[in-house]
Amino acid sequence: MPVNEALRVLRTVHYDATHYSLFLQAGSIGPATKPGQFAMLQAGEGLRPYLRRAFSIADVTKVAGVPAMEFVIKAVGIGTGMLGRLAEGTPIPVLGPLGVPFPLDDVTSADRVAVVAGGIGLAPLLLLSRELSARGVSTDLFYGGRNETDILKRADFERFLGPHRCRYATDDGSLGRKGRVTDLVSQALESGVRWKRLFACGPLPMFRTLATIVQEAKLDASFALESEMACGFGVCLGCVAPTPDGRFATVCTEGPCVSPSAVDWSRV
Amino acid sequence: MAVDLSVRLGRLALKNPIATASGTFGYGLEFVEFVPLGKLGAISVKGLSLRPCFGNPPPRICETDAGMLNAIGLQNIGVEAFLADKLPELIRLGATVIANVWGDTEDEYVAVVERIGSDRRVAAIELNVSCPNVVKGGLIFGNNPQALGALVKRVREATKLPLIVKLSPNVTDITVTAKAAVDNGADILSLINTLVGLSIDIETRQPKIGFTTGGLSGPAIRPVAVRMVWEVRKVLPKVPIFGMGGIECVEHVVEFLIAGADAVQVGTANFRDPTLSARLVEDLARWCTAHGVRRVSDLTGTLRTRPRPEHRFG
Repeated sequence: MPVNEALRVLRTVHYDATHYSLFLQAGSIGPATKPGQFAMLQAGEGLRPYLRRAFSIADVTKVAGVPAMEFVIKAVGIGTGMLGRLAEGTPIPVLGPLGVPFPLDDVTSADRVAVVAGGIGLAPLLLLSRELSARGVSTDLFYGGRNETDILKRADFERFLGPHRCRYATDDGSLGRKGRVTDLVSQALESGVRWKRLFACGPLPMFRTLATIVQEAKLDASFALESEMACGFGVCLGCVAPTPDGRFATVCTEGPCVSPSAVDWSRV
Repeated sequence: MAVDLSVRLGRLALKNPIATASGTFGYGLEFVEFVPLGKLGAISVKGLSLRPCFGNPPPRICETDAGMLNAIGLQNIGVEAFLADKLPELIRLGATVIANVWGDTEDEYVAVVERIGSDRRVAAIELNVSCPNVVKGGLIFGNNPQALGALVKRVREATKLPLIVKLSPNVTDITVTAKAAVDNGADILSLINTLVGLSIDIETRQPKIGFTTGGLSGPAIRPVAVRMVWEVRKVLPKVPIFGMGGIECVEHVVEFLIAGADAVQVGTANFRDPTLSARLVEDLARWCTAHGVRRVSDLTGTLRTRPRPEHRFG
């Protein structure tokens, strides 16, 4: 059940000129969050930006002993820029947790799964990795970006999953393998690795390639979709994704975590 | 001092003048965690068509300064599913329900209104003749007083419920379409729907919205909406009006009432703050108390204009 509450900024950690982590008080949203869910954050009281912004709840953690939610954000416009400049202690309206989480009910310590991140798509996969780790699930992480600075929260992923289970790909080869993260996934499948499920979040080209890969490998998968949203709870109908049966599904309430077979990638 | 918040829009009696606008409040039930639906004056549900409608391909929305553009394309579950799956629960929760309806053709409008008929669970029917985001219907009626008049006349014969016509601001003179609607049987007018706008991604040189143009809503349009309410009020002083466009706080509600609205509909602000509409009911009572207003209906149409100079000075 989503809650609308004002939560204070506890800390902001800037990784480079554009990427940062925003830590807010957990409120009642944090403890209720399941991996893959998101929240709508309002950047300031003014009319610019006018709408709230949707962000994956990247982690439910603590800051100096205080229960906190972490949002990993890439500053690309007014809203994401403003949220990165809020002073500690500033209260901001937060609506959450929202959306369909990653399917985890049937995942146990007997299973092996894959987690695939592209760029800022790491956000929902961090809390997922924490949960998979807590359940003792063997997890292979594949994380790609343009260069080393695109690869965020590496220490946390490696702590949750084990450094040897984390593989990276960058366009310029500055970290891990030079090339695409989807190549790492294909390679692992070719070497005979089998996963119970593949979880992914990243840019559209990555989703397209992965959708083909998991279909050919007959691999169960869940993708956390991204979309601009005005409301976040199924009312504005602005965030839709085309479905194979010809209709449009709301990313906010029918997703964001969906099976890739629920999306008509040719119409996206 | 107890404030009387009740208002009468002809045959439509509301416990207070705060309603929510079609397209911004879903079917109402999406808001049960944020708003006690029975507390609102009314809710106007997402525009219903005879058959379910899938709407436009994305991208459907983009933010603009102090507002947003949308071209959803009237995606909805259809009137049958609404009556069967949504309306009973809305009634159980004590909501006053306005059924917003639309069609691609005159016959489709009439058919969807006939399906609701005179079902007393519905407080009023609101005719959407002003959606700018569909290829057929919508603005074809909203921009043309003859076509609008003919449509309203046929719809009027299909229901005994109070009939609201929601007008388009995308016209030269809104009083012309307002009169056409009223002359043909509209009981109440809703104004305004969204203003047609265009927002461009300058890197790709593509429209930000898939439909190219979209409807502008939010605080950016409020002065236009207030002006149009005032204009219609002057020409049709006895016709009840729902005013809407960019309402964010109680002061905006009062502004619309002074301009000539009998009640208001809160729209895009529901996206930004889903709890706002119910809070406005309390804020309005408080505002009236603080300003010595005993009956909120006393505010309607009380604009004190200054005389406009007939000649240029100097």
